[in-house]
Amino acid sequence: MNSQVVLTALGQVSGTVFWMLVGFLLIEVSIWAVGNKVLKNKNTLVAMLVTPAFVGLGLLLVFPLLYEVVLAFSNMNLYHFRNPEFSLLNGLENFKRVFTKPVLQTTTFFPVLLRTFLWTSQVLIHASVGMLLAMLLNRPNLKFKNIYRAILILPWAMPQVISALTWRSEFNFEYGFPNILLNKIGLPGIQWKADALWNFIAMVLTNVWLGIPFMMVISLGGLQSISDEFYEAADMDGASGWTKFQKITLPLMKPVLAPSVMLGIIWTFNNFNIPYFINEMKLESSEILVTALFRAAFNFSQYGFSAAFALIIFALLFSMTLIYVKWTGALKGVTD
Amino acid sequence: MKKLGHQDPLWVKIIIHTLLITACLVTIYPILRIMTISLRPGDRLMSTSLALIPPDATFSNYTAALFEKDFFLWLWNSLVITLATAVIGLTLASTSAYAISRWKFPGRNAMLIFLLGTQMIPAAMLMVPLYLLAAKFGLINTYRGLVIAYSVSAVPFSIWILKGYYDSIPTTLEEAAMIDGASRMYTFWRIILPLTTPALAIAFLFNFMNSWNEFMLARIMLPKSGMFTWPLGLQSLQGQFTTQWGVYAASSIMISIPVVALFLYSSKWLVNGLTAGSVKG
Amino acid sequence: MKKVLVALLVLASVAAPIIAGGQQGSEPKGPVTISLWTKEGEADGALQWVEALAADFSAQHENITVEVLNKEVEALREDFQTAALAGTAPDLLWSVSDHAGPFTTAGLIQPVDDFVDTSKYVESVVMNGSTWAVPIASGNHLMLMANKKYVSELPATTDEFIEVAKSLTKDDMYGLAYNLGEAFWLAPWLGGFDGSVFAADGVTPTLDTPAMLNTLKFLRSLKFDYGVTPTESDYAVADTLFKEGKAAMIINGDWSIGGYKEALGDDLLIGRLPKVSSTGKYPAPYTSGVYFFVPADLPAEKESAVKMFIEYVTSEKVQTEMLEKLSRLPGLRSALSSPVIENDPLMKGSVAQMEVGTPMPTVLEMRAVWDAINPELSAVMAGSETPEEAVKKMQEAAVNGIANLK
Repeated sequence: MNSQVVLTALGQVSGTVFWMLVGFLLIEVSIWAVGNKVLKNKNTLVAMLVTPAFVGLGLLLVFPLLYEVVLAFSNMNLYHFRNPEFSLLNGLENFKRVFTKPVLQTTTFFPVLLRTFLWTSQVLIHASVGMLLAMLLNRPNLKFKNIYRAILILPWAMPQVISALTWRSEFNFEYGFPNILLNKIGLPGIQWKADALWNFIAMVLTNVWLGIPFMMVISLGGLQSISDEFYEAADMDGASGWTKFQKITLPLMKPVLAPSVMLGIIWTFNNFNIPYFINEMKLESSEILVTALFRAAFNFSQYGFSAAFALIIFALLFSMTLIYVKWTGALKGVTD
Repeated sequence: MKKLGHQDPLWVKIIIHTLLITACLVTIYPILRIMTISLRPGDRLMSTSLALIPPDATFSNYTAALFEKDFFLWLWNSLVITLATAVIGLTLASTSAYAISRWKFPGRNAMLIFLLGTQMIPAAMLMVPLYLLAAKFGLINTYRGLVIAYSVSAVPFSIWILKGYYDSIPTTLEEAAMIDGASRMYTFWRIILPLTTPALAIAFLFNFMNSWNEFMLARIMLPKSGMFTWPLGLQSLQGQFTTQWGVYAASSIMISIPVVALFLYSSKWLVNGLTAGSVKG
Repeated sequence: MKKVLVALLVLASVAAPIIAGGQQGSEPKGPVTISLWTKEGEADGALQWVEALAADFSAQHENITVEVLNKEVEALREDFQTAALAGTAPDLLWSVSDHAGPFTTAGLIQPVDDFVDTSKYVESVVMNGSTWAVPIASGNHLMLMANKKYVSELPATTDEFIEVAKSLTKDDMYGLAYNLGEAFWLAPWLGGFDGSVFAADGVTPTLDTPAMLNTLKFLRSLKFDYGVTPTESDYAVADTLFKEGKAAMIINGDWSIGGYKEALGDDLLIGRLPKVSSTGKYPAPYTSGVYFFVPADLPAEKESAVKMFIEYVTSEKVQTEMLEKLSRLPGLRSALSSPVIENDPLMKGSVAQMEVGTPMPTVLEMRAVWDAINPELSAVMAGSETPEEAVKKMQEAAVNGIANLK
């Protein structure tokens, strides 16, 4: 750490900001010139506003996607690293292999898929516990509300890698606190690292701990926006707590919860850090799709195959989300 | 309910507080354990003791992290990259989101689906192509490459949040200003953006967290140790076989503090900023 | 006369490198920067040592700068492959022999026959008639270490070994600790039970064998029948237990000697793993080493600088320094006869173990074998799978894994 480092960093970063601004302006001016002066299009301003972000996204996300599509039609692996062959046949072979042969050493696609679904379903736990905590926090005149809330969102605020590594060391058989606590109440410790089922449960526990705060905050926002009048009216009708929850809270929370649950599903499905750090890529029986993909690509260097595998995972998640959107109307509030 | 000012009966209060306290304990215990490890002397890292403050607590791990490692360098690198990212990302997102919120132009829904789609790309799939792209443009080993990658990758979620918030601001505000002769962009800048502060704060927070914690891309894009961000620095404390756990834990605690502080500070906006769009009015 | 002699001497010293031929690098004309990726981390002080070497070397040669970067072993391999694909590979690698398989298969490194005189070094990675790596350190093998407070003499046979371990296991004290779920710690015993991971052709896995079955049964019995190891122990747990005196014996590699010397001082005892009583054979840990690999894309103008750096690190002076500082056995033959080894009982113990070791296969297929053994070994040690089931699954996984590579 010295002044030179500081200056280099500042120089580089301000340069980046500067050049991005120049590029930004160039794009804006040219769209304005073409759209407003030449085409006289009424959507010119819209184009000016959205183009910079979408050019960036296109470069950063669409290029890799296209790259993967091309790669999926190659036989690229360590034996064909420098000069892979691209052909339709190679592509078919890669896609077929995803479903017919082990994606790693022993596990085949469908068990991993099933496990990924099971893994993703924990979002329900995030949402229901998050909702429960939000309802507790939302009680009238609750004391220490801000303290509770501050503590309860900590797992979300902590850097994820640090939490993941901490939990990993806490799943140690002898020195981790879950087993120490079990021993204190006279139960035998659990082999979190070696036993396939418990390893999976360890992953889920960690991620539940991490995932609840987001849902809690979202639910709290939703609850605060429900007008008291609904409950007052219900009270006059003598409705029970459960009825009020069913008839007022849940329906009114749906526009808040449905998109958040959708994001939760996408993030959990694609969650790489937690399975990667807790399992340490040891047990194939704990792999979910995205970690299996990582192993196929980087541990086993099967570039062509894993590109096909990646596209299948992406397509699967994409169609699942579309079905969810249709089913819950999660995007209604967004597309309106 | 609040307006009524009614009180829960005592027994309900007791149940509520018991539940909340239990939840808080479960939440905070693992974090306190990191603190415990960071306070243990170097030769006593494995212990079956559950005491939160070890009897022979020492700050030696903290001083080791601060003065024997490049802790400040890592922090500086992360901070520079993160702040630049957050500013650029926010600029890109706030304008796009405004357009998407206010105009029903052709291709708008496709755009929203596209934004959602970007969240679904498995990270492992992006690494090699992004590296190739960065190498092509000479961005390896520069802060530049990461700033660009991070600021763009946080855009979809920021647009999502901001658009929702803009939606909840009535258009009559702009219309009134425009009748007075203000231009559209002037109105956006002077009237709409200030009203959007809570959502901007949230988007900033997300941009910040996103790049502050990112690890996989940084590992391949910044191979020089002088350029390490903190996750890379922490990683360097983990050898192939041995990890300097005490120093690791101490560094972790110190690195978490800025984000946690930022998070708690913005938590007053967090609740509204995230949900405003979905619940209108 | 004296002047002539001096002149001759000067001439000789100048001419010597030239006469020695193409082996020696020559000072580059303009400034050259070599980027070196090393797997050495800072935990055992090795990275600091590598950085010091690079600084010394740069100071001696004003035109050359060596930039050192540490990457964890697996990250080094992954990132090198990615970087090579983009044409931004580093100029020199300092890594483990396992990487020779993938790197040669993908055509990412070049033979070093033209870089150094390979006969000066211990056995290196030879494939298809070429040498692919320059040894920096040799060994990297597992051995038995003990704390003299509890064990005065290392057991000679597994029967004795079990007895000793049993007598020492009580309260919060274990007779033995090691990395239970890692195939690298299984390999020596497989050799001791007269097995091998590959058939004679060196690429066909042979894991479904009586030898592997006996190995698994033996390791299982240490935990379940005799209870001498911790219930679950990874590297970090074993390492800490031994350092804190809560484990009397440990099986660990030469890289850990430095740290244990520091923690235990004169109480450290090192030697061979005990002879397997039922076969009368010594366990054969894998020996490999730490090597320089030269990337295939190394620019021509950097070649001589890279050569000079390799020569420098593998010079007798630096090799002896490594032996003293890091307790690693040198890769340079002449440094192996150093008195430092003769005079140090610990290093002698390490050499004794290395003598009965077996070179680790460097073929690409080895990777699939490691990944096949690990999960089944874990399952057996967790008690959720019988050794009989495990050997079958291992073999199947290895065969699948190898087929997938093609």
